Amino acid sequence: MNARAPQGNNVVTQSLAQIGACGLFLLTLLGAIPRSFRYLRETVRQLWFVGAMSLTIIMVCGLFVGMVLMLQLYHVLSIFGGTSASGMVVALSVYRELGPVVTALLFAGRAGTAVTAEIGLMRATDQIDAMEMMAVDPIAYVATPRFLAGLIAMPLLCCVFCAMAIFGGHLVGVTWLGIDNGTFWSNMTAQVDIHTDIVNGVLLKSLAFGAVVSLIAVFQGFTTPPTSEGVAYATTRTVVASSIAILALDFVLTAFLM
Amino acid sequence: MTDTVRATPDDATLVRIRGLTTVLNGKTIFDALDLDIPRGKITSIMGPSGTGKTTLLKHITGQMHADAGSIHLDGRNVAELSREELYKLREGVGYLFQNSALLTDFDVFENVAFPLRQHTKLPEVLIRDLVLMKLQAVGLRGAARLMPNELSGGMARRVALARAIVFDPQLILYDEPFVGLDPVALNQVLKLIQTLNQTLGITSVLVSHELAAVQQIADHVILLAKGKVVAQGDPKTIADDGSPWTRQFFGGEADGPIPFRYPAADYATELGFAGAAK
Repeated sequence: MNARAPQGNNVVTQSLAQIGACGLFLLTLLGAIPRSFRYLRETVRQLWFVGAMSLTIIMVCGLFVGMVLMLQLYHVLSIFGGTSASGMVVALSVYRELGPVVTALLFAGRAGTAVTAEIGLMRATDQIDAMEMMAVDPIAYVATPRFLAGLIAMPLLCCVFCAMAIFGGHLVGVTWLGIDNGTFWSNMTAQVDIHTDIVNGVLLKSLAFGAVVSLIAVFQGFTTPPTSEGVAYATTRTVVASSIAILALDFVLTAFLM
Repeated sequence: MTDTVRATPDDATLVRIRGLTTVLNGKTIFDALDLDIPRGKITSIMGPSGTGKTTLLKHITGQMHADAGSIHLDGRNVAELSREELYKLREGVGYLFQNSALLTDFDVFENVAFPLRQHTKLPEVLIRDLVLMKLQAVGLRGAARLMPNELSGGMARRVALARAIVFDPQLILYDEPFVGLDPVALNQVLKLIQTLNQTLGITSVLVSHELAAVQQIADHVILLAKGKVVAQGDPKTIADDGSPWTRQFFGGEADGPIPFRYPAADYATELGFAGAAK
Protein backbone atom coordinates (compact mmCIF):
# COMPACT_ATOMS: atom_id res chain seq x y z
CA MET A 1 0.00 0.00 0.00
CA ASN A 2 1.48 3.30 -1.03
CA ALA A 3 -0.99 5.59 0.78
CA ARG A 4 0.66 8.90 1.48
CA ALA A 5 -0.55 12.05 3.19
CA PRO A 6 -1.55 14.49 0.46
CA GLN A 7 0.50 17.65 0.07
CA GLY A 8 -0.93 21.09 -0.55
CA ASN A 9 -0.08 24.77 -0.42
CA ASN A 10 -2.60 26.01 2.11
CA VAL A 11 -5.10 24.76 4.64
CA VAL A 12 -8.05 24.69 2.21
CA THR A 13 -6.31 22.79 -0.59
CA GLN A 14 -4.65 20.53 1.95
CA SER A 15 -8.01 19.73 3.56
CA LEU A 16 -9.64 19.11 0.18
CA ALA A 17 -6.74 16.88 -0.83
CA GLN A 18 -7.08 14.97 2.46
CA ILE A 19 -10.81 14.43 1.88
CA GLY A 20 -10.13 13.25 -1.68
CA ALA A 21 -7.37 10.90 -0.58
CA CYS A 22 -9.62 9.60 2.22
CA GLY A 23 -12.36 8.90 -0.35
CA LEU A 24 -9.94 6.95 -2.54
CA PHE A 25 -8.75 5.09 0.53
CA LEU A 26 -12.36 4.16 1.31
CA LEU A 27 -12.70 2.64 -2.17
CA THR A 28 -9.50 0.62 -1.62
CA LEU A 29 -10.84 -0.47 1.76
CA LEU A 30 -14.20 -1.55 0.35
CA GLY A 31 -12.43 -3.38 -2.47
CA ALA A 32 -10.38 -5.30 0.09
CA ILE A 33 -13.43 -6.51 2.09
CA PRO A 34 -13.78 -9.80 0.14
CA ARG A 35 -10.06 -10.51 0.64
CA SER A 36 -10.33 -9.71 4.35
CA PHE A 37 -12.90 -12.47 4.95
CA ARG A 38 -10.02 -14.90 5.33
CA TYR A 39 -8.84 -12.80 8.29
CA LEU A 40 -12.09 -13.22 10.22
CA ARG A 41 -10.17 -14.02 13.39
CA GLU A 42 -8.37 -10.67 13.09
CA THR A 43 -11.72 -8.87 12.68
CA VAL A 44 -13.05 -10.58 15.82
CA ARG A 45 -9.85 -9.64 17.69
CA GLN A 46 -10.29 -6.02 16.63
CA LEU A 47 -13.97 -6.12 17.58
CA TRP A 48 -12.88 -7.09 21.07
CA PHE A 49 -10.24 -4.36 21.09
CA VAL A 50 -12.36 -1.45 19.82
CA GLY A 51 -15.74 -2.69 21.09
CA ALA A 52 -15.51 -4.70 24.29
CA MET A 53 -12.55 -2.69 25.59
CA SER A 54 -14.53 0.55 25.13
CA LEU A 55 -17.46 -0.72 27.21
CA THR A 56 -16.30 0.75 30.52
CA ILE A 57 -15.99 4.35 29.28
CA ILE A 58 -19.24 4.07 27.31
CA MET A 59 -21.20 2.68 30.28
CA VAL A 60 -19.85 5.16 32.82
CA CYS A 61 -20.35 8.16 30.52
CA GLY A 62 -23.83 6.95 29.51
CA LEU A 63 -24.84 6.68 33.17
CA PHE A 64 -23.68 10.20 34.00
CA VAL A 65 -25.16 11.76 30.84
CA GLY A 66 -28.56 10.26 31.76
CA MET A 67 -28.28 11.42 35.37
CA VAL A 68 -27.30 15.00 34.48
CA LEU A 69 -29.94 15.21 31.77
CA MET A 70 -32.67 14.11 34.15
CA LEU A 71 -31.49 16.54 36.82
CA GLN A 72 -31.52 19.49 34.40
CA LEU A 73 -34.86 18.53 32.82
CA TYR A 74 -36.55 17.97 36.17
CA HIS A 75 -35.67 21.48 37.36
CA VAL A 76 -36.76 23.13 34.09
CA LEU A 77 -39.96 21.08 33.71
CA SER A 78 -40.95 21.58 37.35
CA ILE A 79 -41.45 25.29 36.53
CA PHE A 80 -44.27 24.28 34.18
CA GLY A 81 -45.48 21.34 36.28
CA GLY A 82 -44.41 18.87 33.62
CA THR A 83 -41.97 16.70 35.55
CA SER A 84 -43.89 13.57 34.56
CA ALA A 85 -42.64 14.07 31.00
CA SER A 86 -38.97 14.19 32.00
CA GLY A 87 -38.43 10.43 31.46
CA MET A 88 -39.83 10.71 27.96
CA VAL A 89 -37.67 13.77 27.13
CA VAL A 90 -34.55 12.05 28.47
CA ALA A 91 -35.27 9.04 26.27
CA LEU A 92 -35.93 11.10 23.12
CA SER A 93 -32.82 13.24 23.66
CA VAL A 94 -30.67 10.20 24.21
CA TYR A 95 -32.05 8.11 21.34
CA ARG A 96 -32.15 10.88 18.75
CA GLU A 97 -29.01 12.88 19.53
CA LEU A 98 -26.95 12.35 22.63
CA GLY A 99 -26.63 8.57 22.35
CA PRO A 100 -25.13 8.32 18.85
CA VAL A 101 -23.17 11.59 19.01
CA VAL A 102 -21.60 11.17 22.46
CA THR A 103 -20.86 7.48 21.82
CA ALA A 104 -19.16 8.39 18.53
CA LEU A 105 -17.10 11.16 20.17
CA LEU A 106 -16.05 8.80 22.97
CA PHE A 107 -15.35 6.06 20.43
CA ALA A 108 -13.13 8.41 18.42
CA GLY A 109 -11.21 9.35 21.55
CA ARG A 110 -10.85 5.84 22.93
CA ALA A 111 -10.70 3.47 19.94
CA GLY A 112 -10.02 5.77 16.98
CA THR A 113 -6.81 7.20 18.44
CA ALA A 114 -5.64 3.73 19.47
CA VAL A 115 -6.17 2.41 15.93
CA THR A 116 -4.32 5.38 14.39
CA ALA A 117 -1.42 5.11 16.81
CA GLU A 118 -1.17 1.34 16.35
CA ILE A 119 -1.12 1.50 12.55
CA GLY A 120 1.17 4.54 12.60
CA LEU A 121 3.67 2.72 14.80
CA MET A 122 3.40 -0.34 12.59
CA ARG A 123 4.40 1.90 9.67
CA ALA A 124 7.18 3.58 11.64
CA THR A 125 8.66 0.20 12.59
CA ASP A 126 8.35 -1.22 9.05
CA GLN A 127 5.76 -3.82 10.09
CA ILE A 128 3.47 -2.79 7.22
CA ASP A 129 6.35 -3.06 4.74
CA ALA A 130 7.30 -6.41 6.28
CA MET A 131 3.77 -7.69 5.62
CA GLU A 132 4.02 -6.50 2.02
CA MET A 133 7.31 -8.36 1.72
CA MET A 134 5.72 -11.50 3.16
CA ALA A 135 3.09 -11.20 0.42
CA VAL A 136 0.36 -10.31 2.94
CA ASP A 137 -1.89 -7.45 1.84
CA PRO A 138 -1.82 -4.91 4.72
CA ILE A 139 -5.08 -3.32 3.59
CA ALA A 140 -6.90 -6.64 3.86
CA TYR A 141 -5.06 -7.76 7.01
CA VAL A 142 -4.66 -4.51 8.98
CA ALA A 143 -7.03 -1.83 7.66
CA THR A 144 -10.23 -3.66 6.72
CA PRO A 145 -10.62 -5.70 9.95
CA ARG A 146 -10.27 -2.50 11.99
CA PHE A 147 -12.75 -0.67 9.77
CA LEU A 148 -15.30 -3.49 9.94
CA ALA A 149 -14.82 -3.85 13.69
CA GLY A 150 -15.59 -0.15 14.18
CA LEU A 151 -18.61 -0.42 11.93
CA ILE A 152 -20.03 -3.32 13.94
CA ALA A 153 -19.02 -2.04 17.38
CA MET A 154 -20.50 1.46 17.15
CA PRO A 155 -24.24 0.55 17.00
CA LEU A 156 -23.75 -1.97 19.80
CA LEU A 157 -21.90 0.53 21.97
CA CYS A 158 -24.56 3.12 21.22
CA CYS A 159 -27.28 0.74 22.45
CA VAL A 160 -25.32 0.17 25.65
CA PHE A 161 -24.83 3.95 26.06
CA CYS A 162 -28.57 4.60 25.61
CA ALA A 163 -29.51 1.84 28.05
CA MET A 164 -27.14 3.22 30.69
CA ALA A 165 -28.39 6.80 30.11
CA ILE A 166 -32.00 5.70 30.62
CA PHE A 167 -30.93 3.80 33.72
CA GLY A 168 -29.13 6.94 34.98
CA GLY A 169 -32.22 9.03 34.27
CA HIS A 170 -34.39 6.53 36.13
CA LEU A 171 -31.96 6.49 39.05
CA VAL A 172 -32.11 10.28 39.48
CA GLY A 173 -35.74 10.84 38.43
CA VAL A 174 -37.50 7.95 40.13
CA THR A 175 -35.20 6.89 42.95
CA TRP A 176 -33.92 10.32 43.98
CA LEU A 177 -36.40 13.00 42.83
CA GLY A 178 -39.53 10.90 43.32
CA ILE A 179 -41.09 10.77 39.84
CA ASP A 180 -43.61 7.94 39.67
CA ASN A 181 -42.07 4.80 38.23
CA GLY A 182 -45.14 3.93 36.13
CA THR A 183 -45.39 7.45 34.70
CA PHE A 184 -41.67 7.41 33.86
CA TRP A 185 -41.93 4.21 31.78
CA SER A 186 -45.42 4.69 30.30
CA ASN A 187 -44.70 8.22 28.99
CA MET A 188 -41.47 6.97 27.52
CA THR A 189 -42.92 3.92 25.78
CA ALA A 190 -45.87 5.94 24.48
CA GLN A 191 -43.71 8.59 22.82
CA VAL A 192 -40.68 6.68 21.61
CA ASP A 193 -41.15 5.43 18.06
CA ILE A 194 -39.18 2.38 17.01
CA HIS A 195 -38.61 3.61 13.45
CA THR A 196 -37.96 7.32 14.00
CA ASP A 197 -36.08 7.13 17.28
CA ILE A 198 -34.45 3.72 17.50
CA VAL A 199 -33.78 2.72 13.86
CA ASN A 200 -33.10 6.20 12.46
CA GLY A 201 -31.75 7.71 15.66
CA VAL A 202 -29.71 5.02 17.33
CA LEU A 203 -28.87 2.46 14.63
CA LEU A 204 -28.54 4.45 11.41
CA LYS A 205 -26.68 7.36 12.92
CA SER A 206 -24.29 5.20 14.92
CA LEU A 207 -23.61 3.03 11.86
CA ALA A 208 -22.74 6.15 9.85
CA PHE A 209 -20.61 7.57 12.67
CA GLY A 210 -18.87 4.21 13.12
CA ALA A 211 -17.97 4.13 9.43
CA VAL A 212 -16.67 7.72 9.46
CA VAL A 213 -14.62 7.41 12.66
CA SER A 214 -13.12 4.05 11.66
CA LEU A 215 -12.28 5.32 8.17
CA ILE A 216 -10.58 8.44 9.51
CA ALA A 217 -8.65 6.46 12.15
CA VAL A 218 -7.38 3.87 9.68
CA PHE A 219 -6.63 6.46 6.98
CA GLN A 220 -4.66 8.65 9.38
CA GLY A 221 -2.70 5.62 10.57
CA PHE A 222 -1.78 4.55 7.05
CA THR A 223 -0.81 8.02 5.85
CA THR A 224 1.10 9.20 8.90
CA PRO A 225 4.77 10.07 8.37
CA PRO A 226 6.71 7.18 9.97
CA THR A 227 8.13 9.26 12.83
CA SER A 228 7.12 9.69 16.48
CA GLU A 229 6.05 13.26 15.74
CA GLY A 230 4.05 12.07 12.73
CA VAL A 231 2.19 9.48 14.82
CA ALA A 232 1.43 12.09 17.50
CA TYR A 233 -0.02 14.48 14.89
CA ALA A 234 -1.98 11.69 13.24
CA THR A 235 -3.72 10.72 16.49
CA THR A 236 -4.59 14.36 17.11
CA ARG A 237 -5.92 14.67 13.56
CA THR A 238 -8.07 11.57 14.11
CA VAL A 239 -9.82 13.19 17.08
CA VAL A 240 -10.20 16.59 15.42
CA ALA A 241 -11.36 15.28 12.03
CA SER A 242 -13.67 12.67 13.61
CA SER A 243 -15.30 15.21 15.94
CA ILE A 244 -15.97 17.66 13.11
CA ALA A 245 -17.19 14.88 10.80
CA ILE A 246 -19.51 13.44 13.48
CA LEU A 247 -21.17 16.77 14.25
CA ALA A 248 -21.46 17.81 10.60
CA LEU A 249 -22.82 14.41 9.59
CA ASP A 250 -25.22 14.52 12.54
CA PHE A 251 -26.71 17.73 11.22
CA VAL A 252 -27.08 16.31 7.69
CA LEU A 253 -28.59 13.04 8.92
CA THR A 254 -30.97 14.79 11.32
CA ALA A 255 -32.12 17.10 8.53
CA PHE A 256 -32.87 14.14 6.27
CA LEU A 257 -34.27 11.76 8.87
CA MET A 258 -36.54 14.15 10.77
CA MET B 1 1.97 -14.45 -18.96
CA THR B 2 3.34 -12.08 -21.59
CA ASP B 3 6.80 -12.42 -23.13
CA THR B 4 7.77 -9.03 -21.79
CA VAL B 5 7.09 -10.13 -18.24
CA ARG B 6 9.13 -13.31 -18.45
CA ALA B 7 12.48 -12.99 -20.15
CA THR B 8 14.77 -15.97 -20.52
CA PRO B 9 16.25 -16.61 -17.06
CA ASP B 10 20.00 -16.47 -16.98
CA ASP B 11 21.58 -19.27 -14.97
CA ALA B 12 24.37 -17.10 -13.64
CA THR B 13 22.39 -13.94 -12.92
CA LEU B 14 19.40 -13.80 -10.58
CA VAL B 15 18.76 -10.05 -10.67
CA ARG B 16 19.44 -8.01 -13.81
CA ILE B 17 19.01 -4.24 -13.66
CA ARG B 18 19.24 -2.16 -16.82
CA GLY B 19 18.97 1.62 -17.24
CA LEU B 20 17.41 2.13 -13.81
CA THR B 21 16.56 5.78 -13.28
CA THR B 22 14.95 7.10 -10.12
CA VAL B 23 14.29 10.69 -9.16
CA LEU B 24 12.98 11.37 -5.65
CA ASN B 25 11.94 14.90 -4.62
CA GLY B 26 13.93 16.34 -7.53
CA LYS B 27 17.10 14.45 -6.59
CA THR B 28 18.45 11.84 -9.00
CA ILE B 29 19.03 8.66 -7.01
CA PHE B 30 19.85 6.34 -9.92
CA ASP B 31 21.03 7.55 -13.28
CA ALA B 32 20.68 4.76 -15.89
CA LEU B 33 22.10 2.21 -13.46
CA ASP B 34 23.16 -1.18 -14.87
CA LEU B 35 23.80 -3.95 -12.39
CA ASP B 36 23.82 -7.76 -12.18
CA ILE B 37 23.47 -9.84 -9.04
CA PRO B 38 24.97 -13.30 -9.48
CA ARG B 39 22.95 -16.35 -8.46
CA GLY B 40 24.00 -18.31 -5.36
CA LYS B 41 26.58 -15.74 -4.23
CA ILE B 42 26.75 -13.13 -1.46
CA THR B 43 26.73 -9.72 -3.12
CA SER B 44 27.38 -6.67 -1.04
CA ILE B 45 26.07 -3.30 -2.12
CA MET B 46 28.05 -0.48 -0.59
CA GLY B 47 28.17 3.24 -0.96
CA PRO B 48 27.93 6.48 0.95
CA SER B 49 24.76 7.28 2.90
CA GLY B 50 21.94 8.54 0.70
CA THR B 51 23.12 6.75 -2.46
CA GLY B 52 19.90 4.76 -2.61
CA LYS B 53 21.01 1.33 -1.42
CA THR B 54 17.73 0.67 0.44
CA THR B 55 15.82 2.21 -2.48
CA LEU B 56 17.54 -0.31 -4.76
CA LEU B 57 16.32 -3.18 -2.56
CA LYS B 58 12.79 -1.72 -2.70
CA HIS B 59 13.01 -1.60 -6.50
CA ILE B 60 14.13 -5.24 -6.65
CA THR B 61 11.14 -6.35 -4.55
CA GLY B 62 8.65 -4.13 -6.38
CA GLN B 63 7.88 -2.04 -3.28
CA MET B 64 8.86 1.03 -5.24
CA HIS B 65 8.72 1.64 -8.97
CA ALA B 66 11.50 3.33 -10.90
CA ASP B 67 11.02 6.24 -13.30
CA ALA B 68 12.75 4.34 -16.10
CA GLY B 69 14.64 1.13 -16.75
CA SER B 70 13.93 -2.48 -15.94
CA ILE B 71 14.58 -4.97 -13.14
CA HIS B 72 14.40 -8.66 -13.95
CA LEU B 73 14.27 -11.01 -10.99
CA ASP B 74 14.77 -14.61 -12.07
CA GLY B 75 13.89 -13.55 -15.60
CA ARG B 76 10.67 -11.71 -14.66
CA ASN B 77 10.25 -7.98 -15.10
CA VAL B 78 9.20 -6.85 -11.63
CA ALA B 79 7.50 -3.63 -12.83
CA GLU B 80 5.17 -5.52 -15.17
CA LEU B 81 3.88 -8.05 -12.66
CA SER B 82 0.31 -7.86 -11.40
CA ARG B 83 -0.26 -7.60 -7.64
CA GLU B 84 -0.93 -11.34 -7.37
CA GLU B 85 2.16 -12.21 -9.43
CA LEU B 86 4.27 -9.84 -7.38
CA TYR B 87 3.04 -11.40 -4.13
CA LYS B 88 3.79 -14.87 -5.55
CA LEU B 89 7.30 -13.69 -6.46
CA ARG B 90 7.82 -12.27 -2.97
CA GLU B 91 7.09 -15.65 -1.41
CA GLY B 92 10.46 -16.64 -2.85
CA VAL B 93 12.25 -13.57 -1.51
CA GLY B 94 13.31 -12.99 2.10
CA TYR B 95 13.88 -9.45 3.34
CA LEU B 96 15.67 -8.55 6.52
CA PHE B 97 14.72 -5.03 7.57
CA GLN B 98 17.13 -2.64 9.24
CA ASN B 99 15.04 -2.63 12.44
CA SER B 100 13.93 -6.28 12.15
CA ALA B 101 10.24 -5.28 11.69
CA LEU B 102 8.89 -8.04 13.91
CA LEU B 103 5.12 -7.97 14.41
CA THR B 104 4.82 -6.64 17.94
CA ASP B 105 1.46 -8.33 18.65
CA PHE B 106 2.98 -11.79 18.22
CA ASP B 107 5.64 -13.72 20.09
CA VAL B 108 8.79 -15.06 18.40
CA PHE B 109 7.14 -18.35 17.41
CA GLU B 110 4.11 -16.65 15.85
CA ASN B 111 6.31 -14.14 14.02
CA VAL B 112 8.18 -16.95 12.30
CA ALA B 113 4.97 -18.92 11.73
CA PHE B 114 3.17 -15.87 10.25
CA PRO B 115 4.11 -16.40 6.57
CA LEU B 116 3.33 -20.12 6.84
CA ARG B 117 -0.09 -19.46 8.35
CA GLN B 118 -0.89 -16.86 5.67
CA HIS B 119 0.16 -18.83 2.62
CA THR B 120 -0.21 -22.51 3.46
CA LYS B 121 -2.79 -24.81 4.94
CA LEU B 122 -0.21 -26.96 6.70
CA PRO B 123 -1.35 -28.81 9.82
CA GLU B 124 -0.41 -27.16 13.09
CA VAL B 125 2.04 -29.88 14.02
CA LEU B 126 4.00 -29.35 10.79
CA ILE B 127 4.02 -25.57 11.22
CA ARG B 128 5.36 -26.08 14.74
CA ASP B 129 8.16 -28.34 13.51
CA LEU B 130 9.11 -25.99 10.66
CA VAL B 131 9.19 -22.97 12.94
CA LEU B 132 11.27 -24.76 15.56
CA MET B 133 13.72 -25.90 12.85
CA LYS B 134 14.19 -22.33 11.64
CA LEU B 135 14.55 -21.03 15.19
CA GLN B 136 17.08 -23.77 15.91
CA ALA B 137 19.02 -22.65 12.82
CA VAL B 138 19.35 -19.14 14.25
CA GLY B 139 19.96 -20.44 17.77
CA LEU B 140 16.76 -19.11 19.30
CA ARG B 141 14.55 -22.18 19.74
CA GLY B 142 14.53 -21.50 23.48
CA ALA B 143 13.21 -17.98 22.92
CA ALA B 144 10.12 -19.12 21.00
CA ARG B 145 7.66 -17.74 23.52
CA LEU B 146 9.34 -14.38 24.14
CA MET B 147 7.69 -11.21 22.87
CA PRO B 148 9.63 -8.88 20.51
CA ASN B 149 10.07 -6.29 23.28
CA GLU B 150 11.89 -8.90 25.37
CA LEU B 151 14.57 -9.46 22.71
CA SER B 152 17.92 -7.73 22.31
CA GLY B 153 18.75 -6.11 18.96
CA GLY B 154 20.84 -9.09 17.87
CA MET B 155 18.16 -11.60 18.89
CA ALA B 156 15.47 -9.62 17.05
CA ARG B 157 17.64 -9.60 13.92
CA ARG B 158 18.04 -13.39 14.18
CA VAL B 159 14.29 -13.92 14.65
CA ALA B 160 13.68 -11.75 11.59
CA LEU B 161 16.19 -13.89 9.73
CA ALA B 162 14.38 -17.06 10.79
CA ARG B 163 11.14 -15.52 9.48
CA ALA B 164 12.83 -14.49 6.23
CA ILE B 165 14.03 -18.06 5.54
CA VAL B 166 10.87 -19.87 6.63
CA PHE B 167 9.86 -20.43 2.98
CA ASP B 168 13.41 -21.37 1.92
CA PRO B 169 13.65 -18.38 -0.45
CA GLN B 170 15.96 -18.23 -3.46
CA LEU B 171 16.97 -14.65 -2.61
CA ILE B 172 17.46 -12.84 0.69
CA LEU B 173 17.93 -9.10 0.88
CA TYR B 174 19.67 -7.85 4.00
CA ASP B 175 19.24 -4.13 4.69
CA GLU B 176 22.01 -3.02 7.05
CA PRO B 177 21.94 -6.26 9.09
CA PHE B 178 24.86 -5.26 11.33
CA VAL B 179 23.70 -1.82 12.44
CA GLY B 180 23.59 -1.39 16.21
CA LEU B 181 24.95 -4.86 16.98
CA ASP B 182 27.73 -5.57 19.47
CA PRO B 183 30.71 -7.57 18.12
CA VAL B 184 29.32 -10.88 19.41
CA ALA B 185 25.86 -10.37 17.88
CA LEU B 186 27.46 -9.04 14.68
CA ASN B 187 29.56 -12.18 14.32
CA GLN B 188 26.54 -14.38 15.01
CA VAL B 189 24.52 -12.70 12.25
CA LEU B 190 27.56 -12.76 9.94
CA LYS B 191 28.03 -16.49 10.48
CA LEU B 192 24.33 -17.12 9.88
CA ILE B 193 24.35 -15.25 6.56
CA GLN B 194 27.37 -17.24 5.44
CA THR B 195 25.93 -20.58 6.60
CA LEU B 196 22.59 -19.94 4.90
CA ASN B 197 24.35 -19.07 1.67
CA GLN B 198 26.60 -22.12 1.78
CA THR B 199 24.13 -24.74 2.99
CA LEU B 200 20.96 -23.65 1.20
CA GLY B 201 22.56 -21.99 -1.83
CA ILE B 202 20.53 -18.84 -1.23
CA THR B 203 21.52 -15.74 -3.20
CA SER B 204 22.20 -12.99 -0.70
CA VAL B 205 22.26 -9.25 -1.25
CA LEU B 206 23.84 -7.40 1.60
CA VAL B 207 23.57 -3.65 2.08
CA SER B 208 26.16 -2.73 4.65
CA HIS B 209 28.83 -0.25 5.67
CA GLU B 210 30.76 -2.76 7.78
CA LEU B 211 33.80 -3.17 5.56
CA ALA B 212 35.49 -5.86 7.67
CA ALA B 213 32.32 -7.96 7.77
CA VAL B 214 31.73 -7.57 4.05
CA GLN B 215 35.30 -8.54 3.21
CA GLN B 216 34.86 -11.64 5.35
CA ILE B 217 31.80 -13.07 3.62
CA ALA B 218 30.99 -11.29 0.33
CA ASP B 219 31.81 -12.91 -3.00
CA HIS B 220 31.06 -9.78 -4.97
CA VAL B 221 31.06 -6.12 -3.95
CA ILE B 222 29.29 -3.33 -5.82
CA LEU B 223 30.14 0.26 -4.92
CA LEU B 224 27.41 2.79 -5.74
CA ALA B 225 27.88 6.53 -5.88
CA LYS B 226 26.24 9.39 -7.76
CA GLY B 227 23.52 7.05 -9.05
CA LYS B 228 25.89 4.66 -10.79
CA VAL B 229 28.14 1.69 -10.13
CA VAL B 230 31.58 3.20 -9.63
CA ALA B 231 33.41 -0.03 -8.87
CA GLN B 232 32.67 -3.74 -8.57
CA GLY B 233 34.45 -7.04 -8.17
CA ASP B 234 35.53 -9.41 -5.44
CA PRO B 235 36.34 -7.74 -2.09
CA LYS B 236 40.12 -8.00 -2.48
CA THR B 237 40.21 -6.65 -6.04
CA ILE B 238 37.93 -3.77 -5.24
CA ALA B 239 39.87 -2.81 -2.10
CA ASP B 240 43.14 -2.72 -4.12
CA ASP B 241 41.61 -1.07 -7.16
CA GLY B 242 43.04 2.34 -6.31
CA SER B 243 40.38 4.47 -8.01
CA PRO B 244 39.51 7.73 -6.21
CA TRP B 245 36.10 6.33 -5.25
CA THR B 246 37.35 3.10 -3.70
CA ARG B 247 40.33 4.83 -2.11
CA GLN B 248 38.07 7.34 -0.37
CA PHE B 249 35.30 4.90 0.59
CA PHE B 250 37.44 2.00 1.79
CA GLY B 251 40.12 4.31 3.22
CA GLY B 252 37.51 6.33 5.07
CA GLU B 253 38.86 9.66 3.77
CA ALA B 254 36.66 12.60 4.76
CA ASP B 255 36.81 14.38 1.42
CA GLY B 256 37.20 13.30 -2.17
CA PRO B 257 34.81 12.33 -4.97
CA ILE B 258 32.21 11.88 -2.21
CA PRO B 259 32.14 15.51 -1.02
CA PHE B 260 32.30 16.41 2.65
CA ARG B 261 30.17 19.50 2.10
CA TYR B 262 26.58 19.45 0.99
CA PRO B 263 26.09 21.71 -2.06
CA ALA B 264 25.50 25.26 -0.87
CA ALA B 265 25.70 28.89 -1.97
CA ASP B 266 29.04 30.70 -1.79
CA TYR B 267 30.19 30.80 1.86
CA ALA B 268 31.43 34.44 1.83
CA THR B 269 28.28 35.62 0.09
CA GLU B 270 26.09 33.84 2.62
CA LEU B 271 28.00 35.42 5.51
CA GLY B 272 27.66 38.85 3.86
CA PHE B 273 31.41 39.34 3.26
CA ALA B 274 31.28 39.27 -0.54
CA GLY B 275 30.62 43.03 -0.85
CA ALA B 276 33.10 44.01 1.87
CA ALA B 277 35.95 42.19 0.10
CA LYS B 278 35.52 44.47 -2.91
